[in-house]
Amino acid sequence: MSRQPFPDLARIDAFDKVQGKTKYSSDVPFPDLLHAMTVPATIGKGMVTSIDVEHALAVPGVVRVLTPHDTPPPPPGPQGSPPPPPMLVHAIAYRGQPVALVVAETLEAAIEGAEAVRVSYALEPFAVRFEDADAGREDTESPTFGDADAAFATATTRIEAIYTTTANHHNPMELLSTTAVWAGGRLTIYEGTQGSNGLKNTVAQLLQIDRSMVDVISPQIGGGFGQRGEVPRHTAVVAQAARLLRRPVKLVMPRNQIFHNSRFRPHVQHAIKLGADANGKMISAHYDCLQQNSRRGRYRSDWYHAGPCKVYGIENYRGTSGDLRLDTHGPAQMRAPYEHPSAFAFESAVDELAFALGRDPVEFRLAHDTKIDASTGKRLTSRHLNECLTRGAEQFGWTGRPVQPGTLKAADGTMAGWGVGAGVYQAAMHPAIATLRVSANGVTRYASAGHEMGQGMRTAIAQVLIAGLRIDPARLTILIGDTTVAPQHSTAGSWGTASSVPVAVAAAEKMTAALAELLDGRKVAGNMHEQLARLRRPFIEIEVSMVAPGQGPEHLERLKTGGMAIAGLHGTYPDFTALSYIAHFVEVHVEPHTRRIRVPRVVSVADCGRVISPRTARSQVQGGVVWALGAALREISETDPRYGGWLNADIAEYHVSVNADIGKIDVSFIDEPDFDANSAGVKGIGEIAMVGAAAALANGVFHATGRRLRTLPIRVEHLI
Amino acid sequence: MTDSPECAAGGIAVTRRVVLGAGASAVAGPALLKGHHVHAQPVPTPSGIENPLLLSFTVNGSSLELDIDARASLLDVLRERLGLTGTKKGCDHGQCGACTVHIDGRTRLSCLTLAAKMNGRQLTTIEGLSDGDTLHPMQTAFVDHDALQCGYCTPGQIMSAVACVRQGYASSPESIRDFMSGNICRCGAYVGIVAAVAAANSSEG
Amino acid sequence: MRTIGYERPETLDAAIAAYSGSGSGSRYIAGGTTLYDLMKLGVETPTHLIDITAIANLDRIETEGDVTRFGTMALMSDVAETPAIRTEYPVLSESLLKAASQQLRNMATVGGNLLQRTRCPYFRAGNGVYPCNKRQPGSGCAALGGLDRSQAVLGASGSCNAVSPGDWPVALLALDARVEIIGIDGQRTLPLDGLYRLPAERPEADHNLNPGDIIIGITVPKTAAGRASTYHKIRDRESFAFALASAAVAMEIEGAVVRDVRIALGGVATLPWRARQAESVIVGRTLTRELAVEAGRAAFQDARPGRHNRFKIDLGVQVVADALMIAAGRNVR
Repeated sequence: MSRQPFPDLARIDAFDKVQGKTKYSSDVPFPDLLHAMTVPATIGKGMVTSIDVEHALAVPGVVRVLTPHDTPPPPPGPQGSPPPPPMLVHAIAYRGQPVALVVAETLEAAIEGAEAVRVSYALEPFAVRFEDADAGREDTESPTFGDADAAFATATTRIEAIYTTTANHHNPMELLSTTAVWAGGRLTIYEGTQGSNGLKNTVAQLLQIDRSMVDVISPQIGGGFGQRGEVPRHTAVVAQAARLLRRPVKLVMPRNQIFHNSRFRPHVQHAIKLGADANGKMISAHYDCLQQNSRRGRYRSDWYHAGPCKVYGIENYRGTSGDLRLDTHGPAQMRAPYEHPSAFAFESAVDELAFALGRDPVEFRLAHDTKIDASTGKRLTSRHLNECLTRGAEQFGWTGRPVQPGTLKAADGTMAGWGVGAGVYQAAMHPAIATLRVSANGVTRYASAGHEMGQGMRTAIAQVLIAGLRIDPARLTILIGDTTVAPQHSTAGSWGTASSVPVAVAAAEKMTAALAELLDGRKVAGNMHEQLARLRRPFIEIEVSMVAPGQGPEHLERLKTGGMAIAGLHGTYPDFTALSYIAHFVEVHVEPHTRRIRVPRVVSVADCGRVISPRTARSQVQGGVVWALGAALREISETDPRYGGWLNADIAEYHVSVNADIGKIDVSFIDEPDFDANSAGVKGIGEIAMVGAAAALANGVFHATGRRLRTLPIRVEHLI
Repeated sequence: MTDSPECAAGGIAVTRRVVLGAGASAVAGPALLKGHHVHAQPVPTPSGIENPLLLSFTVNGSSLELDIDARASLLDVLRERLGLTGTKKGCDHGQCGACTVHIDGRTRLSCLTLAAKMNGRQLTTIEGLSDGDTLHPMQTAFVDHDALQCGYCTPGQIMSAVACVRQGYASSPESIRDFMSGNICRCGAYVGIVAAVAAANSSEG
Repeated sequence: MRTIGYERPETLDAAIAAYSGSGSGSRYIAGGTTLYDLMKLGVETPTHLIDITAIANLDRIETEGDVTRFGTMALMSDVAETPAIRTEYPVLSESLLKAASQQLRNMATVGGNLLQRTRCPYFRAGNGVYPCNKRQPGSGCAALGGLDRSQAVLGASGSCNAVSPGDWPVALLALDARVEIIGIDGQRTLPLDGLYRLPAERPEADHNLNPGDIIIGITVPKTAAGRASTYHKIRDRESFAFALASAAVAMEIEGAVVRDVRIALGGVATLPWRARQAESVIVGRTLTRELAVEAGRAAFQDARPGRHNRFKIDLGVQVVADALMIAAGRNVR
C-alpha cells in the first residue's frame, strides 16, 4: 500500500443522498403493505391486568391487535449468553414499554387504533432518578495498579472533585423502523441497524425459526450513534405480525416512544482525586464512577476507566465503579459511550490540577507524554497526542494565553475563555470476509461486512478499491449491511474502517494477482474490465478474509456463525496497546449580563492512524465536536420521579444543536499509519472525535469566568 | 451508486381513483416504476379510509388526483401513497425540518401540513429539484462541501438551502446559520452546510 | 387521531355558518402549526375542520395611515420581511424572526399565532400519564412540584403554571395592539391584553374568545416608541427554541428623558405579560444601565419561582435591562 495521502474524494453516496434517492428502511415500498403502531405503557412499573382491544378493532381499517398472548415468551439463550429481549409481555419494567401492536390498512387507522386500545394495570412502586435509588450501589472490579493511596499521600499538589454527566439520548434523525416481509417461508427484515447479524440471530431466536431463514437488509442508516447497535424490542413483534397476517408490515416508531424504547447514555457521577509531585508530575489518580443502570441492565460500569488509566502514564491508579439500579429501559452505548463522560470529568480534573500548579494546561499535558500503557505495562504503538496538542495550539493561536481566568474580554464586555481537552479511544478491529468480482462488462461488485450510517464506510472502501484496482469507479457497487451478501458484524466502537479497509486492500491485491496470473505475462491494453473482455473472461471473483492481530481461524468461524469477535477492546492486543488520540481547543464567549454562552471557534487535531477518506473523516470530527458541544451546553434527558419515563421526549424539548449554535470548526489529522494495529494503518475516528471536547468547553468557561462548572450540561442558569 | 434492494413495487396500475393528470412531463403506467422518479408512483387507495376526500394538486410539475384520508399529513401522503420517499419523517411535529418541501414556491413542513389543504396548490419535493440527471447547483454544492453524513436530513436541508439563496439570506455565515436552523442535522454537518449554501450563493449571484 | 370532516369555505359568513351548523367538535384551521400538531398529540380532538385559508383578503398588511393593520392570514414571514414593518416596528419583525423556524413562519399566520398553546411538556405529553388542568380540567397539575425549569414565574395559579410560549403577542403588547374579532354575534375589537386569561380559574381556557369567533385582524398604532423598539430573547439554543426569558420594549426618549415606554415579557409568564411596574420606574428619568436593571427588578417583583426556574428571574431582569439599553440606542438618531 502506498504511503501517499489519499485524495480528497467526494462521499461516494452523496450523489444519491442529495437527490433523495437513497432508500432508508422505511422508504422501501411493498404491495399490500400493512402499517403498525405500538401502544406504549402509561405506568412507571407494574403488570398489565387487561387489554381491551374491542374499540381498536372497531376502527375502520384496523386488521389486528397483537397483545402478549400473540408473541411467544423468549426462549432461553445459548449457555452463558443473556436471554434475548422479550417481545410483548405483561410485566412493565418502564414507562413507554410497548404493550400491544395495532396493525391496519393505513397509517392513520393504525394510529387511531393504537389510541383506542384500553389497558388496565396493577401499579408497583418504582424509582427512576439517580438520587432516588432504592438500593445500594453494586460494585464492579475496576483497573487498579501501583499504590494510589500512598502516592496521593506524598503528593505536594492535590485536587479532589465530583463531576456529573447526565442522561442523554442519541436522536438520530431517522426514526426507528422495521418492515418485515415473509416470502416462501423466509423472513426479510428491512431495518436501519448497526448490527444486522445480531438482529438476524435475535429475531430468529425469538420467533423460534432457524437463523438461516432470516435476512436483514440495512444498507443505509439515517444516523446510528450506537442507538442502532441494540436489537429493539419491537422488531420481532413486527415480524410476528407479518407472520400472522401473511402480509408485509411496517412500523415507524414515533420519536416520543423512541425516547423510551431506545437505549440511552446513563447519568454518571465521577469522583476524582489527582496528586502531583514537587516536579509537577501526576503520580496518583483515584477515579470512582457511579452510573445509573436498569434492574437487569448489563451496561458495564468499569469501562469508564479505559481512557483515564492509559492517557497520561500515571503510575498509581485506583479505579472503582458501580451501578445504581433504576426502573428504566437499559442504558447502552451512545457515541464515545464511556470515553466522552469520563474525559469530561478527567480532563476537567487535569485542568484543575494544572491551574493549581500554575501551569499552562497544554504544556502540562505535553509533559505527560508516555510510551507505555501504565494499566498493562504494554507498549503504546503510536501515541501522537503531543503532536495533536502542539499543532492544535499553533493553529488556535494559544501562545500568550493568560493563565488567570476572567482576563480575556471583548470590547462589549463579553468574557472570553480558551480551553483545551484531550482524549483517547481504542483502535479495535473485527474479522471480515469479502468477495470481489470484476467483470468484463465494466461492473465491479464488492461485498463485505459493515454498516453505512453516515460515517463514510463505503467511501473509505471505495478509496482503497479505486487506488488498488484499474476499474471504472462509476460502476463500482459496494454491498454492506446485508446478511445475504456477506457475514455481518456490529459496526460500532470505531472499528468500522479498521475492519473493512484492510480486507478491501487485500481483496484488491488478490484480484490484481489473479488477473496477472490470467494475463501470464501477456501485454493486454485497457483497464481490468477491458483486459477481461479482450481475454474473453466474463469476470474474475475472489474471496479474502482478514483477522485482527492475535486472532486465528476460530475468530473467522465466529463471524461466519453470527457471533462477534472484537480484538483491541480498550486498545488491548496481545503484544501492545493501540489507541486513537485527539486534542480540542475551544473558544468560549459568555455575555456579561445574561451569561448567554457561545462558541465561535474550535480547533481539533486527531491522530486516527492513516486517513483513508480525508473528506468523510473531517466531517466525522466536525460532527463529533458538534455532539460534544451539544452535550456540554444543551442536552439532558429529564425524568419526573413521580411518573417515570422521559419528560422532554421530543426534539423541541431535548435540545440538540442547531446550525446557529455552531461556529468554525477547524479539523486536521496527524495521518501517521499504525501498522501494528492493522495492515492499513487505520485506528478509528468516529468516537475519538467527540472525546475531550466537552471538557475543553468547560475548561474554557472556567477561563472566561473563573467559574468551575462540574456538571453537564452547562446552561445559562449556572452562570447567572 | 446504490445497492438498495430491488423494490417490489411493480404491478401497480393507475386504478381506483388514482389519476395522473396531463402535466407536461407526466408519464403514465409502468414506465413510472423504473429507476428513480420525479413523479409520483401512486399506490392504490387502501381500503379502510372512511369518507375519503378527493385531493387534486400538482407534484413536481404533474397534476395528480387521489382519494385521501382527511386527517392525513402531506408527508404521509407523499411517502405512503405517492412513493415519493425523498421527503423524510424525523419528528412528525415540526421540530426537525427533515420533511421540508416547497408549496407554491415557499418552504413548508409537510408533516404539519394537512394534505387536504393542498387542493389546487403546487408542490416541489427533493425529487423535483434536479433537471433530469443535471443536479441543482445546491445539490452539487452539498456534494462538494460534504454538507451531509447519513443523508437523512439532507433533502430537507437542500429545500431550505435553495430558499435561503433565493430569498437573499445567504449573504453571510450568520444569516445562513439562522435561516437554516429549522433543519436539524444530528450528524453535525453544519460547517459543510454553511459552506455549501455560501458557495451556491456566490456561483449563482 | 379520529377521522375528521374537512371543508374550506370561501367567505367569513360561510365559515361562521359552517361552524354554527356543525356542532361543538368544529375548529377553524389556518396554518395548522399548532392545531394539527396538538391533534397528533391527542390534546385537540376536533371532529370537523373548517379551513379558513381560502377566504379572500384576510392576509393584507396595510401600512398606510396612522394605524397599521395585519390581516389575520398574513404569514409570520411576510410580516417579518415587510420593509415598512422593519422600520416602523423593529420589535415586531425581530419577534417574528426569532420565533420558530423559517418553514414554520411560512405556514403560521399572525392571527393564529396569538392563539398558540403552551409548550408545557406535561400538557403536550399527556397521553394519560400526567395530570393537566389545561388538558383535562380538574385532573390536577403535574408541572406544579414537577420539573418546572421552563414554567412561568409570573401569573401562575395553584392549578397551572404553564408558560405562554409566544414572541409575537409579547411584541404586540408593547405596542398597544388591538384585535378585531368576528363571531356569531357580529364584529368587535379587544385590546390585546383583553384577549388572554390568567389560569386562576378554568386554566383550560387560554383566551376570551367565544365559540365560533374568528380573529380577522390586528391593528397597531404608529408611534415614536414603536420606531425605537426591540425584541430581546434568550433561549437554550441560538435559534429554533422557545424563550427562557424575552422582553419587548418600545420606548421614546426626548432630550435625555424617557417620555414613553412599554415593556412586555415572554417566556416567564402564563400570558404575554405587561410589566407596568418596570415602566413606571423609568418614565420621566434618564436611562442608565443601573436604572435599566432597577426596572428589570421591578418587572419581576411579584415573581414566584418554583423549584428549578428561579434563574428566570435573574435572567429576566438582565433581559429587560439589555432590551431597554438596545431601545435607548435606537432613540439616538
